Amino acid sequence: MEFITLAFRFATYSLALLFAALLLILGLQMVGVLKKVPFSYNIRNLFVRWRITLMTALAFTLVVALMTVMLAFVNGMYKLTASSGVPGNVIVLADGATDELFSNLGFGDIKQLEFHPEIVKQDGKPLISWELYVVVNQPILVRKCPKCGELVRVNRFGEKLLEHGEPSCPGSDLPITGTRGRRFIQVRGLEDPVISAAVHNLDLYEGGEWFSPACVAPLPGGRSGQFAVQAVIGEGLARELGPDQGKKSLEVGDVFDLGPNRWIVTGILRSAGSTFDSEVWTKFQMAGELFGKNTYTTCVMRTEGPEQAAALAKDLKENFKSPAVNATPEPEYYASLNSTNEQFLGAILIVVAIMAIGGVFGIMNTMFAAIAQRTKDIGVLRILGFAPWQILVSFFLEAVLLAFLGGLLGCALGLLANGWTASSIIASGPGGGKSVVLKLVVDGPILLSGMVFSLVMGCLGGLLPALSAMRLKPLDAVR
Amino acid sequence: MIPRPIVQIEGLHKSFSRGSEKIDVLIDLTLDVPEGEFLALMGPSGSGKTTLLNLIAGLDSPTSGTLIVGDQEISRMSETQLARWRTRHVGFVFQFYHLLPVLTAYENVELPLLLLPLSAAERKRQVLTALDLVGLSNRLSHRPGQLSGGQQQRVGIARAIVTDPTLIVADEPTGDLDSKSAEEILDLLVELKKGLNKTILMVTHDPRAAARAERVLHLEKGRLVRETSLYDLHPGGLNGDAVTSSPRRMEDVVREQP
Amino acid sequence: MSNLDAWILWYLDSPWRVIGAAVALLVFLLLVVYRDDWFFYARLMLKSLRRNLVRTALTSIATFVLVLVVTMVWTVLYVLDRVTAEKSQDLKAIVTERWQIPSQMPFSYAQPLSEGAAKETNDVRPSDSMTWTFVGGTLDPAKRTRENIVFFFAMDPAKLMRAERDERGNLIRTKTGKIVFNTMMDDLDQLSDSEIDLLDQACREMEKDRRKVVIGKERLAQMNKKVGERFTLHCINYPFIELEMEIIGEFPDGRYNQSALMHRDYILDAMDAWKRKNGRPHPMAEKCLNLVWLRVPDREAFRRVAEQIEESPDFKSPAVKCETASSGIAAFLDAYRDLLWGMRYLLVPAILVTMSLVIANAISISVRERRTEMAVLKVLGYRPGQVLILVLGEALLLGVAAGLASAAASILFINTYLGGIKFPIAFFPAFFIPLDALWWGPALGALTAFVGSILPAWSARQVKVAEVFSKIS
Repeated sequence: MEFITLAFRFATYSLALLFAALLLILGLQMVGVLKKVPFSYNIRNLFVRWRITLMTALAFTLVVALMTVMLAFVNGMYKLTASSGVPGNVIVLADGATDELFSNLGFGDIKQLEFHPEIVKQDGKPLISWELYVVVNQPILVRKCPKCGELVRVNRFGEKLLEHGEPSCPGSDLPITGTRGRRFIQVRGLEDPVISAAVHNLDLYEGGEWFSPACVAPLPGGRSGQFAVQAVIGEGLARELGPDQGKKSLEVGDVFDLGPNRWIVTGILRSAGSTFDSEVWTKFQMAGELFGKNTYTTCVMRTEGPEQAAALAKDLKENFKSPAVNATPEPEYYASLNSTNEQFLGAILIVVAIMAIGGVFGIMNTMFAAIAQRTKDIGVLRILGFAPWQILVSFFLEAVLLAFLGGLLGCALGLLANGWTASSIIASGPGGGKSVVLKLVVDGPILLSGMVFSLVMGCLGGLLPALSAMRLKPLDAVR
Repeated sequence: MIPRPIVQIEGLHKSFSRGSEKIDVLIDLTLDVPEGEFLALMGPSGSGKTTLLNLIAGLDSPTSGTLIVGDQEISRMSETQLARWRTRHVGFVFQFYHLLPVLTAYENVELPLLLLPLSAAERKRQVLTALDLVGLSNRLSHRPGQLSGGQQQRVGIARAIVTDPTLIVADEPTGDLDSKSAEEILDLLVELKKGLNKTILMVTHDPRAAARAERVLHLEKGRLVRETSLYDLHPGGLNGDAVTSSPRRMEDVVREQP
Repeated sequence: MSNLDAWILWYLDSPWRVIGAAVALLVFLLLVVYRDDWFFYARLMLKSLRRNLVRTALTSIATFVLVLVVTMVWTVLYVLDRVTAEKSQDLKAIVTERWQIPSQMPFSYAQPLSEGAAKETNDVRPSDSMTWTFVGGTLDPAKRTRENIVFFFAMDPAKLMRAERDERGNLIRTKTGKIVFNTMMDDLDQLSDSEIDLLDQACREMEKDRRKVVIGKERLAQMNKKVGERFTLHCINYPFIELEMEIIGEFPDGRYNQSALMHRDYILDAMDAWKRKNGRPHPMAEKCLNLVWLRVPDREAFRRVAEQIEESPDFKSPAVKCETASSGIAAFLDAYRDLLWGMRYLLVPAILVTMSLVIANAISISVRERRTEMAVLKVLGYRPGQVLILVLGEALLLGVAAGLASAAASILFINTYLGGIKFPIAFFPAFFIPLDALWWGPALGALTAFVGSILPAWSARQVKVAEVFSKIS
């Protein structure tokens, strides 16, 4: 993160400097202190060679659009982790664990944490969330429709041919023939969902309710004695599972498969923009029993504010020994999940830098050709009394203008990617991580860096040809 | 002896349309060029002389009329057929030489031969012969940029004769040269005509260049207005035997030289 | 001789290879028959390229770097495609816990799973197997850093590498001079003889003394340790356990650069010792088998083995699943599907279009400058098609040369100097550019050069001689 802000700042400053210089020259020209080669000369020339202008600008457009989309992806990941933590929260994992997946708080005296004085109370109860986090490896089952031969998604009980457009295709009596990929569904078992929701600043959409203490409900449409496990799910996950049931998004009362059981949705979490968006929340005992993991993995405590949280984390790390724990203020914990982002960002920067070389050489080509075609013009201008540096500014401006047009188009194209959703994994290191659904975010800084990037390419690509134009001898040029 | 005509033109018509306006460049032109003649076309700008030359060389097609060169009706050929035909039958000399700057003199002359089914050895012999004829045997590996205008035009002529074409077409071959070089080039053309008995068509507006031809046609506004023959120009028969026998192969001539 | 036969058979196996060879042969024959023409054309193209060195250089460099990016992206996709492609022979099956991630099974599963849960005499048994236990630890518990954390694969060393040796310890070779050895690991069969020898010796050492470990070259350098040194590993996922270790070997450069390997019995014994001392089982005692690999001869055998395992009542708590290695990896990669989709369908095409644009730019500029030359060629009798070939050929020559240079340079530079592409996806430490890139590069260069130059070449073909000269004179 530091690296990118530094690089960004550097680029912005250098560009601002360059622009200031250009503006100064242009301003002086306008006031009439400096004679100038009319700017319309450059613009007309760009129009006269419209095909080559267009091709060069388009190359820029593509490079800039690609960069915008890639950065928007990483930006979305950063935005996600940044909005997931509550500043006053402290997350407690087992000593040595940096990822919830590998954490095991055991039973021991861990419940002692409840009595820590720093914890904020709500209605007399301490705001502390006891959680069990498991990732379930859920196969997506398919079978071949005998009528049309297509692979069709089904639920485990073979009840429907889901997402299948042919109503005439037969339904339920087909054997399941295989799996097509898998989902990694994150399940969080909670002791008291109301407290946990309060700790994480989340609530349910209208019409939803929390799972009951028993956490089971009769299976809708099932025989008597058939039950479904109650759960609350994130809205992102609801959208992802929806198509399985032929819906845009799951709603309260819908049933889905998870592990060996059937589950029923009792509520949808208002979780957009946080890592909880792709999670299933259920009763701790239920999750523990179903997935064979019956200790807490995580404990999240609410304090008054960031300072208290930092103090509490430090205190727990140093003084709590039964068992020893790894306590971190939540924002810090989520920031540690940015390690993948940083690696992606590194890879993207390399790719972008290499593509920039392509763009720079493209514009150099165009400008060299432009100068070769207009050698006579340059000679005439020089004989008319224009100084070499005025020729330089003129051609340099032409290159920058070309890059500017391309960059503008590229940013516009990249803007289309704003709001796309993509799935990815965020992790603090290899092995662990959370599957998340993130939104690509194209915002001001990204558009700005797209423009900065294309202008820098234009400057680099325009400088050399402009220098060569400047060095032409007037008499040689008109000959 | 009356030589058979190598170019037969009858009722030739060529018009261009510029926007809605139709411009007639050549109007109902009829002309025969006997084999072995050195013919000059003269006329003011826009009289249609270059257009006529381009038509005869197969670079452009007429609007109507017949155009027979050798024994082929070229006005009905496709572009690709014309290209093949040109390789064997027409050698073109340009005002601005138009040599490829990246190739040496030798390679420039070799260019048209590559289109013919010749072995490398045959090609080499022919290129050397042609360059020898124009007197540039010692400039084989020079690039056009390293040659003077007159020398470049000699390379251009060597390129035109290297395939032993029936017809040599020259568009203002001296137009870009100083008078001394121009004289040399004209001497060379006359020599080629005499020695090889090639038919030469030359467009020019330099009366001195035209004076070297056997017959001069004057065009104005797309029509033939006047014709001057060698005997009008040079009553004494300056160029010696005007019309001899059938054309001769380039190599035979070279072999005869001491 | 048999080698040649096998090679020919392998070669004829794919229709694409045969078609490719036929095309190559045809091109070669054409080149020979028309060698004079081609020489001439090639010479003319080269000379035209040489005329404007600046433009040629700029275009080549642009092509070079863009091919480089595509090669890198394709390398990642190629490797992932290859590991997820379903094989029909000699499959590897992976057994893991059915529902949970990470998979943690009791070690008591190891023995029956290794036999494919075969009970009856006519049940199918895997031809080979291997167990995996992941042990993560740090050299310095007080201050963990990326450098001092090591993840060990604990396994049976004999499964990693076992070469046949005679009584005197010499390697046994086949008649053709090949070492006879067995490995369950991928890519280890490409090792040189001396590397096999070293690795086999290391594995035999590990069997004698369980404290000995083998670590990847790069990992070792990051840990700042050398072969022969000893250290204490403070386990992270096995609390309270500390292991004394001695480094006796390193993995050769390549896929296992970041890996570390120990004897599985070492961690099992350590947990037993903990139990004896504390009077209760270690918290990880029932969770220390992470996965089991099985080798099966074909798909039918796989199906049978998978059925035996998944239906056996012995593996119910926790339940297990058995899948092919490729589908297991594919499932894992599914989490990255949007990212991979973006790389495949956004990044690569956009780069290719950019490349075509850069080439189109350069070639149209050069055609425009040389309209007169094209017209002269036509006057000399060159047919429109030949003019087209000249322009197209010039672009292709440039594209193919730059593409080939880029591929060769990237293989040399990235594979040997950078140690592969370090792209943080799944558990792949680094991606190595395959030799196939040697044809990707020229093919990409040719493709983009063709697309980029076809329009300018067509306009060169269409040059009207009369118009060009009437403008000049």
